[in-house]
Amino acid sequence: MILDRIGRLFISFLASIGNLTLFSIKSLAAGFMPPYYWKQILGQAVQIGYFSLPVVGMTALFTGMAMTLQCYAGFSEFTAENAIPSVVMIAMTRELGPVLAALMVAGRLGASMTAEIGTMKVTEQIDALTTLSVNSYKYLVFPRILTGTLLLPFLVFIDDVIGILGGYLVGVYYLNFNAANYIRNTFESMATWDIVSGLIKGAVFGFVICLMGCYQGYSSKGGAEGVGRATTNSVVASSIMILLLDGILTFVLF
Amino acid sequence: MEYVIEVENLKKSFGNKEVLRGISLKIKAGESYVVIGGSGSGKSVLIKCILGLIEPDGGIIKINGKDTSKMSQKELFKARLKCGVLYQGGALFDSLNVIDNVSFGLIYGYGMSQKEAYKIAIEKLESVDLDESVAKIYPAELSGGMSKRVALARAIATDPSIIFFDEPTTGLDPITSGTINDLIVRCTKEMGISAVSITHDINSLKHISDRVGLLFNGSFIWEGTNKELMSTDNPYVVQFINGNAKGPFTEK
Repeated sequence: MILDRIGRLFISFLASIGNLTLFSIKSLAAGFMPPYYWKQILGQAVQIGYFSLPVVGMTALFTGMAMTLQCYAGFSEFTAENAIPSVVMIAMTRELGPVLAALMVAGRLGASMTAEIGTMKVTEQIDALTTLSVNSYKYLVFPRILTGTLLLPFLVFIDDVIGILGGYLVGVYYLNFNAANYIRNTFESMATWDIVSGLIKGAVFGFVICLMGCYQGYSSKGGAEGVGRATTNSVVASSIMILLLDGILTFVLF
Repeated sequence: MEYVIEVENLKKSFGNKEVLRGISLKIKAGESYVVIGGSGSGKSVLIKCILGLIEPDGGIIKINGKDTSKMSQKELFKARLKCGVLYQGGALFDSLNVIDNVSFGLIYGYGMSQKEAYKIAIEKLESVDLDESVAKIYPAELSGGMSKRVALARAIATDPSIIFFDEPTTGLDPITSGTINDLIVRCTKEMGISAVSITHDINSLKHISDRVGLLFNGSFIWEGTNKELMSTDNPYVVQFINGNAKGPFTEK
């Protein structure tokens, strides 16, 4: 009985992986073939790159501030306060920048992609696209995946800068660090690979969030309830994938 | 005889449930064929299989004489441009206004310029008794009847040779239903477009059909002309037309 259930779950897991792979192949294959829907690509670029800036920036600012305070509480016991700018720099560029930006984008955009595409699916708008001779993967999915993959690294970079700035503000104006020393320590610990690795993570996370958001939208069934369920699945699956891939990529990149 | 749609031995199952059990159907040019049947009898699946939205398990579907299973993806998309569809809920794109909805197939399907497509879209809106004043309105702001008209304008915008109507009058008041029925008749009789419709609305059925097929348990159990429908003593048809609770449909 238990084995039977485990077997079913395993088969259903494999089927989901297979469907997701087919979905991404279909979307990429359709997207790279002309004609290109520039208007859709530009629209998504604005959604992902521009409208996500406030939420990503706010998260980064407060995380940078909180981290500096927390580090100070610990490091001051060992008179190692000078290491704080370096720790903030490394943590933001390697880990917190990409992961936080991705989680915020997954919550904001992944959910809205699933809800929008899911509603289109259950109200037959996707069928209407097909019968009007438009490949829905090319029109709906590819622009999202492309802009997500290309623009999440940009958001990660902004996240890094604002996070480090948050740390600077708390360090200099609240903890009374010397501004010049803080900046020097920050730049001394800056490594190109730390930043680049964070941007690579951002691109992978962007691809996963948009792929999952669109896939769950396409898998929606059964009206409003089905769309709601798909939206939850999308955010949960994206978030888990982000954290899982973060671990794997950290092993691979460092 | 020239047929716009030929379906032979079409089969489709979902899991263990056999939805279409070897359906055959032929629709002549300019003919209005109406499929009737209870909920879950396979009417929508039949239309979706013909349109290539659902892949059938077996059988042959020919649109304008060409076997759809032998068409390339490009040919299939081209063939679909010659098929207009009026979906049950309209299926207008929420994010686009009326004019962009109506001109969608012209711009993305035929590659027309926006100016050219808008001109045709306005003509099509006029042909369904709407005018330019609705052009910038979004679907969420339209009434049920207006949204059906806009959807019809979108369906005929690409000058299709066949239109599929999925329950065109469902959810509309009798007067608006009458208007939609008139528009469907205008499409078939004046524009010479062939029509395949699904409906539960008996008034609409009497109004728009040339020929009728009754689908039950995935097979056509009766087919005939509009006149024969009214005079037949087939117990299934009689129960369906009169809406009787007791009869062969409900017997187990």
